[in-house]
Amino acid sequence: MAANYWASTQRRHWLFTKERLADIRESFRERDKAAHSQFPLPDQRLLNIYFSQQLIKLGKRMSTRQQALATAQVYIKRFYTKNEIRHTNPYLVVTTAFYLACKMEECPQHIRFVVAEARNFWPEFIAPDVSKLGECEFALISEMNSQLIVHHPYRTLSELQPELSLTSDEVALAWSVINDHYLTDLPLLYPPHVIAVMAIIVAVVFKPSQTSFHGTAAPLAGAMRDGGMNILAALGDKNGAGPPPRIQKLVGWLAESEVDIRAVIECTQELVSLYEIWENYSEKHCKELLGRMVKSKNLDK
Amino acid sequence: MLKEHLDPRKPSGTGYTSKVRVRDKYHIVGFISSGTYGRVYKALGKNGQKGEFAIKKFKPDKEGEIIQYTGLSQSAIREMALCSELDHANVVQLEEIILEDKAIFMVFEYTEHDLLQIIHHHTQPHRHAIPAPMVRSILFQLLNGLLYLHTSWVLHRDLKPANILVTSSGAIRIGDLGLARLFYKPLNSLFSGDKVVVTIWYRAPELLMGSRHYTPAVDLWAVGCIFAELLSLRPIFKGEEAKMDSKKTVPFQRNQMMKIIEIMGLPTKDIWPGIVSMPEYSQLQSLAMSRAPGHFPRSSNLEGWYQSCLKNGGYATSSGAGTPGADGYDLLSRLLEYDPTKRITAQEALEHPYFKNGGPISANCFEGFEGKYPHRRVTQDDNDIRSGSLPGTKRSGLPDDSLMGRASKRLKE
Repeated sequence: MAANYWASTQRRHWLFTKERLADIRESFRERDKAAHSQFPLPDQRLLNIYFSQQLIKLGKRMSTRQQALATAQVYIKRFYTKNEIRHTNPYLVVTTAFYLACKMEECPQHIRFVVAEARNFWPEFIAPDVSKLGECEFALISEMNSQLIVHHPYRTLSELQPELSLTSDEVALAWSVINDHYLTDLPLLYPPHVIAVMAIIVAVVFKPSQTSFHGTAAPLAGAMRDGGMNILAALGDKNGAGPPPRIQKLVGWLAESEVDIRAVIECTQELVSLYEIWENYSEKHCKELLGRMVKSKNLDK
Repeated sequence: MLKEHLDPRKPSGTGYTSKVRVRDKYHIVGFISSGTYGRVYKALGKNGQKGEFAIKKFKPDKEGEIIQYTGLSQSAIREMALCSELDHANVVQLEEIILEDKAIFMVFEYTEHDLLQIIHHHTQPHRHAIPAPMVRSILFQLLNGLLYLHTSWVLHRDLKPANILVTSSGAIRIGDLGLARLFYKPLNSLFSGDKVVVTIWYRAPELLMGSRHYTPAVDLWAVGCIFAELLSLRPIFKGEEAKMDSKKTVPFQRNQMMKIIEIMGLPTKDIWPGIVSMPEYSQLQSLAMSRAPGHFPRSSNLEGWYQSCLKNGGYATSSGAGTPGADGYDLLSRLLEYDPTKRITAQEALEHPYFKNGGPISANCFEGFEGKYPHRRVTQDDNDIRSGSLPGTKRSGLPDDSLMGRASKRLKE
């Protein structure tokens, strides 16, 4: 069913275990060791940060909504579970994922406009000819087996807002945590409602005041590392007198819901490590490594 | 110039060559139909793959002689995505999708019949009504499929007899999801996407009135029209479509609205409070004023229409399996309810006395039927076979990339 996650192709075909994902990536490395040593690339999460920033650039002038960008990010992830990045032109993949996601999320953009906009940003990597993007669209759809409907945690978040009487600040923070989870493998590893619950916990436990997201996530990482122990303890000990009532209410709700708490904790840890590695992010570095790879392998042709 | 230097052992992952070829897997036996999207062919499975298939080919755009990738239309993308996701006994079954030679081939199960063809058969050589139990089974299965779509947050938006497929074992399959879309909190209002939906004869009054926020109720109106057509063998509201003008503004469908009013009476704010805020309300008022008082019935004449329809069809007068009877009328009137907020839902319709009373409903709509329907027409020549008298469904609003490309090219010349 299109709107039912449990029967969706996302749950049936696009949910991986960590081990499976690692195996897939290792098999890419095995198959083309030369390329891997010749063209080292930054950590996948740093690349994801880079891709997401490029998508935001692309989307800005076309005033694309966040959900279409999120869908595009999921498409990119899915595509790279089937293709070694070193055999592709990532700029073309990013642009095509954007173009396709806009159509799927009902905010379509004309192919010529998308190509023109992409050439504004990366003239040396995107050909003026729209047929390249059209061809890449075929590759993307084919690798995804036409399974293009993506379920996002945003929906669960808005459904839970009244139930958990979340403040607008908390919702805003949870929303940006959800935005950030697209920078990790989490969308390939956990169902959207688990992500939403994780985002809500993070938002309620760590007040929005502590955070200015995107780029300067370090304070949050620290806060989460230290404070995270509290919530993890609270989750384990339902009779604990420790946490404030606000958090106790959330813990109570969690205990009654059938949400997989262990999965929620794993997601939180994944996010903490994202914020830690984010400190090493350098746009220039990503750009250089990708550029060198694309140019010397003629992947832009 | 640089292409020669590409290492052939490492093809670019963004280039595209199909892993599966249509002709390797399927033997095309003939041509079924064509539309704005492309063509449908009948095919047989090859190499041990049994069965018959209908292959829908979305046409690649031709710019000059060489076919180019021009970006897929949003309608194709939607149909591919939704059909890959959906799985229900009363929704057409997708076998696979093959992307090859810059075209898309959607491989569906083959269905021998559709409601348009069945209705047509009952007018030849003279009119003879579709048996009441068959109508009931068709409608039940249709609503069952529609309930599944609606609970999956999918609006079909183009229900009409030609899109209701029937297998040779009498199972109903809702087909052609080219206009279908998800309606759970869409990013843009549903109106802004496609300005015109639903083939005009089956278009709900709120769409004719220019409604911007329409709901699954539009599909239920279409089911009402189909129900009426199954009984009378003619479209109940056979209006003439006013064409879109050069400015691409959607005209008020005056003639179609008139056809509805002639049977259903003038809609008033008493029976449909929301009507006064509809964009075309003033058009409706001027339509009412343009005729002599009493020209349009003040109240619904649907019951009269229904009774004479049963009489002409030779349906039994006393209640029983031989007639849709009073329950059938009640259901029809709830489907053809002006106010979309009051119109019966698929769920409610399935629990209606029309289905509850009168014994079991067969999952084979042909059960107990002695007659035989002709097979689907499959031709060997690949010519366009357009059913000229049938108005098509407009797939506008979302500029099909390929069409836009062509238009702008023409402009330059």
